Amino acid sequence: MQQQTDLELIADTLAGKTASYALLVNRHKRFVFTMALKFVKNREDAEEVAQDCFVKAYKALGTFKQTAKFSTWLYTIAYTTAMTHLRKKRLPTNSIDEENSHLQLQHSISSYRADDVEKKSKYVYLNLAISQLLPDDAAIITLFYQAEQSLEEIAETLHMESNTIKVKLHRARIRLKEKLQVMLKEEVKELL
Amino acid sequence: MKTMEEQLWDYIDGLTTEAERQVLESKIANDPQFRDQYHALLAIHQMMQQNELEEPSMSFTRNVMEQVALEPQPLVLKTKVDPRVIYSIAAIFILGIFSLLIYTLSNSTLSMQEMAMPTLNVQVNLNMTELVNTMALRVFFCVDILLALIYADRLLRSRKSGRNFKEA
Repeated sequence: MQQQTDLELIADTLAGKTASYALLVNRHKRFVFTMALKFVKNREDAEEVAQDCFVKAYKALGTFKQTAKFSTWLYTIAYTTAMTHLRKKRLPTNSIDEENSHLQLQHSISSYRADDVEKKSKYVYLNLAISQLLPDDAAIITLFYQAEQSLEEIAETLHMESNTIKVKLHRARIRLKEKLQVMLKEEVKELL
Repeated sequence: MKTMEEQLWDYIDGLTTEAERQVLESKIANDPQFRDQYHALLAIHQMMQQNELEEPSMSFTRNVMEQVALEPQPLVLKTKVDPRVIYSIAAIFILGIFSLLIYTLSNSTLSMQEMAMPTLNVQVNLNMTELVNTMALRVFFCVDILLALIYADRLLRSRKSGRNFKEA
Protein backbone atom coordinates (compact mmCIF):
# COMPACT_ATOMS: atom_id res chain seq x y z
CA MET A 1 0.00 0.00 0.00
CA GLN A 2 1.31 3.40 -0.99
CA GLN A 3 2.23 5.69 1.88
CA GLN A 4 0.14 8.86 2.13
CA THR A 5 2.00 12.12 1.61
CA ASP A 6 2.18 14.80 4.30
CA LEU A 7 -0.30 16.96 2.36
CA GLU A 8 -2.81 14.11 2.10
CA LEU A 9 -2.55 13.47 5.84
CA ILE A 10 -3.05 17.19 6.53
CA ALA A 11 -6.14 17.26 4.29
CA ASP A 12 -7.53 14.25 6.17
CA THR A 13 -6.82 15.89 9.53
CA LEU A 14 -8.57 19.08 8.45
CA ALA A 15 -11.50 16.98 7.27
CA GLY A 16 -11.87 15.64 10.81
CA LYS A 17 -9.78 12.43 10.70
CA THR A 18 -7.63 13.05 13.77
CA ALA A 19 -5.99 9.63 13.40
CA SER A 20 -4.18 10.97 10.32
CA TYR A 21 -2.44 13.51 12.53
CA ALA A 22 -1.03 10.63 14.59
CA LEU A 23 0.61 9.34 11.41
CA LEU A 24 2.13 12.78 10.81
CA VAL A 25 3.43 12.86 14.38
CA ASN A 26 4.96 9.40 13.97
CA ARG A 27 6.63 10.46 10.75
CA HIS A 28 8.27 13.60 12.13
CA LYS A 29 8.64 12.98 15.88
CA ARG A 30 12.23 11.73 15.73
CA PHE A 31 13.54 14.82 14.01
CA VAL A 32 11.51 17.26 16.13
CA PHE A 33 12.69 15.50 19.29
CA THR A 34 16.33 15.52 18.09
CA MET A 35 16.04 19.23 17.31
CA ALA A 36 14.54 19.93 20.75
CA LEU A 37 17.31 17.94 22.39
CA LYS A 38 19.90 20.23 20.81
CA PHE A 39 18.40 23.14 22.73
CA VAL A 40 17.24 21.81 26.09
CA LYS A 41 19.86 19.10 26.76
CA ASN A 42 17.71 16.75 28.80
CA ARG A 43 15.30 14.20 27.41
CA GLU A 44 12.28 15.03 29.61
CA ASP A 45 12.33 18.72 28.67
CA ALA A 46 13.05 17.88 25.03
CA GLU A 47 10.05 15.59 24.95
CA GLU A 48 7.87 18.33 26.47
CA VAL A 49 9.10 20.83 23.86
CA ALA A 50 8.54 18.35 21.01
CA GLN A 51 5.02 17.53 22.21
CA ASP A 52 4.24 21.23 22.58
CA CYS A 53 5.47 21.76 19.03
CA PHE A 54 3.09 19.13 17.62
CA VAL A 55 0.12 20.54 19.56
CA LYS A 56 0.91 24.07 18.28
CA ALA A 57 1.21 22.70 14.74
CA TYR A 58 -2.18 21.00 15.08
CA LYS A 59 -3.84 24.20 16.30
CA ALA A 60 -2.34 26.18 13.41
CA LEU A 61 -2.83 23.49 10.76
CA GLY A 62 -5.57 25.52 9.09
CA THR A 63 -3.10 28.33 8.37
CA PHE A 64 -0.53 26.04 6.73
CA LYS A 65 -0.03 27.07 3.09
CA GLN A 66 0.03 23.87 1.12
CA THR A 67 2.45 25.28 -1.42
CA ALA A 68 5.29 25.00 1.14
CA LYS A 69 6.88 21.85 2.56
CA PHE A 70 5.19 20.67 5.76
CA SER A 71 8.56 19.69 7.27
CA THR A 72 9.95 23.23 6.82
CA TRP A 73 6.83 24.70 8.45
CA LEU A 74 6.97 22.17 11.30
CA TYR A 75 10.70 22.74 11.92
CA THR A 76 10.05 26.49 12.18
CA ILE A 77 7.52 25.76 14.94
CA ALA A 78 10.00 23.35 16.58
CA TYR A 79 12.75 25.97 16.47
CA THR A 80 10.61 28.79 17.91
CA THR A 81 9.11 26.50 20.58
CA ALA A 82 12.57 25.34 21.66
CA MET A 83 13.92 28.92 21.68
CA THR A 84 10.95 30.10 23.76
CA HIS A 85 11.54 27.25 26.21
CA LEU A 86 15.22 28.12 26.38
CA ARG A 87 14.45 31.78 27.12
CA LYS A 88 11.99 30.82 29.83
CA LYS A 89 14.44 28.48 31.49
CA ARG A 90 17.36 30.86 30.93
CA LEU A 91 19.77 28.06 30.36
CA PRO A 92 23.43 29.03 29.85
CA THR A 93 24.31 29.03 26.15
CA ASN A 94 28.00 29.77 25.90
CA SER A 95 29.90 29.99 22.67
CA ILE A 96 33.30 28.42 22.11
CA ASP A 97 34.57 31.95 21.57
CA GLU A 98 33.82 32.82 25.15
CA GLU A 99 36.70 32.54 27.54
CA ASN A 100 35.10 30.17 30.03
CA SER A 101 33.85 27.71 27.49
CA HIS A 102 37.20 25.96 27.18
CA LEU A 103 37.23 25.19 30.90
CA GLN A 104 33.65 23.92 30.72
CA LEU A 105 34.52 21.80 27.75
CA GLN A 106 37.54 20.32 29.51
CA HIS A 107 35.39 19.54 32.52
CA SER A 108 32.72 17.76 30.51
CA ILE A 109 35.34 15.89 28.52
CA SER A 110 37.13 14.69 31.64
CA SER A 111 33.86 13.29 32.94
CA TYR A 112 33.36 11.54 29.63
CA ARG A 113 36.94 10.35 29.44
CA ALA A 114 36.57 8.87 32.91
CA ASP A 115 34.36 6.32 31.24
CA ASP A 116 35.79 3.66 29.07
CA VAL A 117 36.60 5.52 25.87
CA GLU A 118 36.75 2.32 23.90
CA LYS A 119 33.12 1.59 24.61
CA LYS A 120 31.90 5.00 23.52
CA SER A 121 30.73 5.28 19.99
CA LYS A 122 32.13 8.14 17.93
CA TYR A 123 28.57 9.39 17.61
CA VAL A 124 28.42 9.98 21.35
CA TYR A 125 31.33 12.37 21.00
CA LEU A 126 29.85 13.93 17.91
CA ASN A 127 26.54 14.59 19.67
CA LEU A 128 28.37 15.88 22.72
CA ALA A 129 30.34 18.26 20.50
CA ILE A 130 27.14 19.43 18.76
CA SER A 131 25.48 20.01 22.12
CA GLN A 132 28.37 22.33 23.07
CA LEU A 133 27.64 24.61 20.11
CA LEU A 134 25.42 27.66 20.26
CA PRO A 135 21.72 26.70 19.84
CA ASP A 136 21.50 28.33 16.40
CA ASP A 137 24.63 26.55 15.19
CA ALA A 138 23.43 23.22 16.56
CA ALA A 139 20.06 23.77 14.85
CA ILE A 140 21.72 24.57 11.51
CA ILE A 141 23.97 21.48 11.70
CA THR A 142 20.97 19.31 12.63
CA LEU A 143 18.77 20.71 9.86
CA PHE A 144 21.54 20.38 7.26
CA TYR A 145 22.68 16.87 8.05
CA GLN A 146 19.83 15.13 9.82
CA ALA A 147 16.84 16.77 8.16
CA GLU A 148 18.77 17.00 4.87
CA GLN A 149 17.46 20.49 4.25
CA SER A 150 19.07 22.80 1.69
CA LEU A 151 20.59 26.14 2.72
CA GLU A 152 17.50 27.89 1.32
CA GLU A 153 15.13 25.69 3.31
CA ILE A 154 17.13 26.25 6.52
CA ALA A 155 17.03 29.99 5.82
CA GLU A 156 13.23 29.77 5.54
CA THR A 157 12.96 27.70 8.72
CA LEU A 158 15.13 30.01 10.82
CA HIS A 159 13.99 33.25 9.12
CA MET A 160 17.50 34.18 8.02
CA GLU A 161 19.25 34.87 4.72
CA SER A 162 20.70 31.80 2.97
CA ASN A 163 24.13 33.48 2.83
CA THR A 164 24.00 33.95 6.62
CA ILE A 165 23.15 30.26 6.98
CA LYS A 166 26.08 29.32 4.77
CA VAL A 167 28.50 31.38 6.88
CA LYS A 168 27.02 30.06 10.13
CA LEU A 169 27.18 26.47 8.90
CA HIS A 170 30.80 26.91 7.94
CA ARG A 171 31.68 28.41 11.33
CA ALA A 172 29.70 25.74 13.17
CA ARG A 173 31.62 23.00 11.38
CA ILE A 174 34.96 24.62 12.24
CA ARG A 175 33.93 24.78 15.90
CA LEU A 176 32.69 21.22 15.78
CA LYS A 177 35.98 20.00 14.34
CA GLU A 178 37.93 21.87 17.03
CA LYS A 179 35.75 20.39 19.75
CA LEU A 180 36.13 16.88 18.38
CA GLN A 181 39.89 17.35 18.23
CA VAL A 182 40.01 18.53 21.86
CA MET A 183 37.70 15.72 23.00
CA LEU A 184 39.26 12.86 21.19
CA LYS A 185 42.94 13.93 21.14
CA GLU A 186 44.76 10.73 20.23
CA GLU A 187 41.64 8.91 19.16
CA VAL A 188 40.74 11.55 16.61
CA LYS A 189 42.76 10.01 13.81
CA GLU A 190 41.26 6.61 14.40
CA LEU A 191 37.71 7.90 14.61
CA LEU A 192 37.82 10.41 11.79
CA MET B 1 39.61 35.10 -0.30
CA LYS B 2 38.35 31.75 0.91
CA THR B 3 40.46 29.69 3.28
CA MET B 4 41.47 26.15 2.42
CA GLU B 5 38.84 24.79 4.79
CA GLU B 6 36.07 26.95 3.27
CA GLN B 7 37.00 25.80 -0.21
CA LEU B 8 36.98 22.18 0.87
CA TRP B 9 33.61 22.43 2.62
CA ASP B 10 32.13 24.02 -0.51
CA TYR B 11 33.63 21.17 -2.55
CA ILE B 12 32.19 18.53 -0.20
CA ASP B 13 28.76 20.25 -0.19
CA GLY B 14 28.84 20.44 -4.00
CA LEU B 15 28.64 24.24 -3.99
CA THR B 16 31.65 24.88 -6.25
CA THR B 17 31.64 25.81 -9.92
CA GLU B 18 33.04 23.40 -12.49
CA ALA B 19 36.30 25.39 -12.74
CA GLU B 20 36.72 25.54 -8.95
CA ARG B 21 36.02 21.83 -8.69
CA GLN B 22 38.76 21.00 -11.17
CA VAL B 23 41.29 23.20 -9.35
CA LEU B 24 40.41 21.63 -5.98
CA GLU B 25 40.59 18.10 -7.33
CA SER B 26 44.03 18.83 -8.69
CA LYS B 27 45.15 20.29 -5.32
CA ILE B 28 43.78 17.28 -3.43
CA ALA B 29 45.66 14.97 -5.77
CA ASN B 30 48.98 16.83 -5.62
CA ASP B 31 49.15 18.72 -2.29
CA PRO B 32 49.53 16.39 0.77
CA GLN B 33 48.38 19.11 3.21
CA PHE B 34 45.27 19.76 1.13
CA ARG B 35 44.63 16.02 0.84
CA ASP B 36 44.91 15.40 4.62
CA GLN B 37 42.57 18.28 5.37
CA TYR B 38 40.11 17.05 2.76
CA HIS B 39 40.03 13.55 4.24
CA ALA B 40 39.57 14.91 7.79
CA LEU B 41 36.64 17.13 6.72
CA LEU B 42 35.11 14.38 4.62
CA ALA B 43 35.24 12.04 7.64
CA ILE B 44 33.39 14.61 9.79
CA HIS B 45 30.89 15.19 6.97
CA GLN B 46 30.16 11.45 6.63
CA MET B 47 29.96 11.01 10.38
CA MET B 48 27.36 13.80 10.61
CA GLN B 49 25.39 12.34 7.72
CA GLN B 50 25.31 8.92 9.37
CA ASN B 51 24.46 10.30 12.81
CA GLU B 52 21.10 8.81 13.72
CA LEU B 53 18.10 10.73 15.00
CA GLU B 54 17.13 10.44 18.65
CA GLU B 55 14.11 8.36 19.55
CA PRO B 56 11.51 9.86 21.92
CA SER B 57 9.66 7.70 24.46
CA MET B 58 7.14 5.10 23.26
CA SER B 59 4.24 7.09 24.70
CA PHE B 60 5.19 10.22 22.72
CA THR B 61 2.53 9.99 20.00
CA ARG B 62 -0.14 8.94 22.50
CA ASN B 63 0.69 11.94 24.73
CA VAL B 64 0.48 14.31 21.76
CA MET B 65 -2.83 12.85 20.62
CA GLU B 66 -4.27 13.14 24.13
CA GLN B 67 -3.45 16.86 24.13
CA VAL B 68 -4.72 17.24 20.57
CA ALA B 69 -8.05 15.65 21.56
CA LEU B 70 -8.63 18.56 23.94
CA GLU B 71 -8.18 21.10 21.14
CA PRO B 72 -10.94 22.22 18.78
CA GLN B 73 -10.85 20.94 15.22
CA PRO B 74 -8.48 23.12 13.11
CA LEU B 75 -10.22 25.06 10.37
CA VAL B 76 -8.98 26.07 6.95
CA LEU B 77 -8.84 29.85 6.91
CA LYS B 78 -8.64 30.32 3.17
CA THR B 79 -11.73 31.64 1.40
CA LYS B 80 -13.71 29.26 -0.75
CA VAL B 81 -14.86 31.93 -3.22
CA ASP B 82 -13.71 31.18 -6.73
CA PRO B 83 -11.48 34.08 -7.92
CA ARG B 84 -13.32 33.98 -11.27
CA VAL B 85 -16.49 35.12 -9.49
CA ILE B 86 -14.64 38.12 -8.02
CA TYR B 87 -13.13 38.99 -11.44
CA SER B 88 -16.58 38.71 -13.07
CA ILE B 89 -18.14 41.12 -10.54
CA ALA B 90 -15.25 43.56 -11.03
CA ALA B 91 -15.68 43.31 -14.82
CA ILE B 92 -19.43 44.08 -14.56
CA PHE B 93 -18.73 47.18 -12.43
CA ILE B 94 -15.97 48.43 -14.74
CA LEU B 95 -18.21 47.83 -17.79
CA GLY B 96 -21.05 49.71 -16.09
CA ILE B 97 -18.84 52.70 -15.29
CA PHE B 98 -17.48 52.83 -18.83
CA SER B 99 -20.98 52.51 -20.37
CA LEU B 100 -22.23 55.36 -18.19
CA LEU B 101 -19.22 57.50 -19.12
CA ILE B 102 -19.66 56.84 -22.84
CA TYR B 103 -23.40 57.51 -22.65
CA THR B 104 -22.83 60.80 -20.79
CA LEU B 105 -20.17 61.95 -23.23
CA SER B 106 -22.24 61.04 -26.29
CA ASN B 107 -25.26 62.99 -24.96
CA SER B 108 -23.39 66.11 -23.91
CA THR B 109 -22.83 69.07 -26.23
CA LEU B 110 -19.55 70.03 -24.52
CA SER B 111 -19.97 73.77 -25.22
CA MET B 112 -18.66 76.22 -22.68
CA GLN B 113 -21.72 78.47 -22.88
CA GLU B 114 -24.07 75.80 -21.63
CA MET B 115 -21.84 74.80 -18.79
CA ALA B 116 -23.44 77.02 -16.21
CA MET B 117 -23.49 75.89 -12.60
CA PRO B 118 -26.91 74.49 -11.56
CA THR B 119 -28.87 76.38 -8.95
CA LEU B 120 -31.02 74.99 -6.14
CA ASN B 121 -33.99 76.93 -4.73
CA VAL B 122 -35.62 75.33 -1.70
CA GLN B 123 -38.17 77.22 0.36
CA VAL B 124 -38.76 75.92 3.88
CA ASN B 125 -41.88 77.12 5.60
CA LEU B 126 -42.51 75.27 8.86
CA ASN B 127 -44.96 76.28 11.58
CA MET B 128 -43.49 74.71 14.75
CA THR B 129 -46.52 75.51 16.94
CA GLU B 130 -48.72 73.33 14.70
CA LEU B 131 -46.28 70.42 14.78
CA VAL B 132 -45.48 70.43 18.51
CA ASN B 133 -48.81 70.27 20.34
CA THR B 134 -50.01 68.32 23.41
CA MET B 135 -51.19 65.31 21.39
CA ALA B 136 -47.88 64.89 19.60
CA LEU B 137 -45.99 65.06 22.89
CA ARG B 138 -48.23 62.38 24.41
CA VAL B 139 -47.68 60.04 21.46
CA PHE B 140 -43.91 60.65 21.68
CA PHE B 141 -43.76 59.79 25.40
CA CYS B 142 -46.02 56.74 24.96
CA VAL B 143 -43.69 55.33 22.29
CA ASP B 144 -40.70 56.02 24.56
CA ILE B 145 -42.29 54.18 27.50
CA LEU B 146 -43.25 51.27 25.25
CA LEU B 147 -39.66 50.96 23.96
CA ALA B 148 -38.28 51.14 27.52
CA LEU B 149 -40.63 48.33 28.62
CA ILE B 150 -39.62 46.11 25.68
CA TYR B 151 -35.92 46.71 26.48
CA ALA B 152 -36.44 45.93 30.21
CA ASP B 153 -38.34 42.74 29.32
CA ARG B 154 -35.54 41.53 27.02
CA LEU B 155 -32.89 42.36 29.62
CA LEU B 156 -34.68 40.40 32.34
CA ARG B 157 -35.27 37.43 30.03
CA SER B 158 -31.60 37.28 28.98
CA ARG B 159 -30.43 37.45 32.62
CA LYS B 160 -32.79 34.66 33.57
CA SER B 161 -31.65 32.40 30.72
CA GLY B 162 -27.96 33.11 31.64
CA ARG B 163 -28.61 32.05 35.25
CA ASN B 164 -30.34 28.84 34.10
CA PHE B 165 -27.36 28.03 31.82
CA LYS B 166 -24.90 28.41 34.72
CA GLU B 167 -26.98 26.23 37.02
CA ALA B 168 -27.17 23.53 34.35
